[in-house]
Amino acid sequence: MTGRDWRPTASSSVLRQRARLVERMREFFAARGVLEVDPPLLQPGANLDHGVAPFRIDGPGGPYFLPTSPEHPLKRLVAAGSGAVWALAPAFRAGEVGRWHSPEFRMLEWYRPGWDDRQLIDEVIALLAALTGWPEADSEIVSWREIFKRQLGLDPFAASDDRLLAALGSDAGVAQRDGAVDRALALDVLLVRDIERGLGRGRWTVVTDYPASACAQARLRTDRHGTAVAARFEIYRDGVELANGYHELTDGAELAVRLERERQSRPDADRLVLDGAFLAAMAAGLPDCAGVAVGFDRVVALALGCDGIAAVQPFGHRR
Amino acid sequence: MGSIEISEVSKGTKLLIDNAPWNVIEANFFKPGKGNAVYTLRVMNLITRNTLEKTYRGGEKMETADITDVEMQFLYSDTNGFVFMDTSSFEQITVTPEAVGDDKDFLLENMPVGVTLWNNQPIALRLPTTITVEVVYTEPAVKGDTQSRVMKPAKINTGAEVKVPIFIAIGERIIINTQSREYSGRAQK
Repeated sequence: MTGRDWRPTASSSVLRQRARLVERMREFFAARGVLEVDPPLLQPGANLDHGVAPFRIDGPGGPYFLPTSPEHPLKRLVAAGSGAVWALAPAFRAGEVGRWHSPEFRMLEWYRPGWDDRQLIDEVIALLAALTGWPEADSEIVSWREIFKRQLGLDPFAASDDRLLAALGSDAGVAQRDGAVDRALALDVLLVRDIERGLGRGRWTVVTDYPASACAQARLRTDRHGTAVAARFEIYRDGVELANGYHELTDGAELAVRLERERQSRPDADRLVLDGAFLAAMAAGLPDCAGVAVGFDRVVALALGCDGIAAVQPFGHRR
Repeated sequence: MGSIEISEVSKGTKLLIDNAPWNVIEANFFKPGKGNAVYTLRVMNLITRNTLEKTYRGGEKMETADITDVEMQFLYSDTNGFVFMDTSSFEQITVTPEAVGDDKDFLLENMPVGVTLWNNQPIALRLPTTITVEVVYTEPAVKGDTQSRVMKPAKINTGAEVKVPIFIAIGERIIINTQSREYSGRAQK
């Protein structure tokens, strides 16, 4: 695309419908007593979600990091006793470009003090149903283990390395590094290639109990097989991941260890700064709560029948 | 020749995979929540035109293929192959029958044709999507039946045979889609 291509990527009719969906969302949260807030965009430290690269801004008073989600300021509010809060906030992720990805997008995120992930799942589906008009009742909850068993006949926790490579077939090389099998990567490739696009066909599919290695800021629990899993869920519709929620980890010391481990695992570790104010808030005490992040552009695209998010953003990212 | 990171690959990027040149038809980015970046590519072999789906992990380095597309004009064919002229430099090159393949059926003298070069060697042609040709032989036309979907063989002035509706007569100029190799209508007089 040339720099002269100045026209919007979304039609004016789509933008009008998008604005109505935002109004409907405000009414939804107002009726439920959840407070709308505007989180800041210049963060003193980075969000360090695995596999997500933040933008760093060097300048007077910096460095600053653009939020990859509004998680840090929202949790600081909850820690300060705000009660339930929500935000529709800009989020930035370096290098993410695709039909359903963009380096900048709008994240809808909210927190429910005193709730667990199960209670929050019901509220997320209620909101998605209100925005799309698709019935709340058409939903299922399956474990991460179960979606692999259902589609590929393998147990992702128990399958041998050879079993994973066999399932990858001609893509087996992708998951091997220096002769060893990267199991997490192998399972990600299988998920993306063979499973994800079939999830949530004609219903809300909620996937729960993710591997402990992908816990991010969720607490851990033991599933009925005795495996340690993350109290995390994702919600899919028509093959597209819409939401990612946790029963939040409230142990500030454990969280600091996880984030420092993630920072050190990165090639640019010395350019990344942990968010001190966020860690201080977590150390002071996050109340027991559940939180969820929703890719708002994706929800709008699905609701309006658009094949990708650029068609619902005024100026979608162009390569 | 060069290298490129998978995140920089997009539709139209030319890649060198297993020592063959491939054109990227579709590039997709995926990232399971809290997981690793995964890319899938649909690629077409520029020589055989086979297509493949390939999967890559984030950060992988790919080799690019040195591919250039040159606008040329078809001059004639002889025993060595097919002779084209570069319309900007007026240089002439000979393209082998293997590289031309079935596209030989739709080559007309002086026709503009794109020629794909790999390391400066011609490997494939890019014909116009549609071309206008003349019917040089076919069975007599069935008059009046212009709604018919019944087809009959016809020889065209490139020497190739195509299927045309039964109302087409010798000497008529028709439009052929070079991708599907099908009749797509009568040419405007």
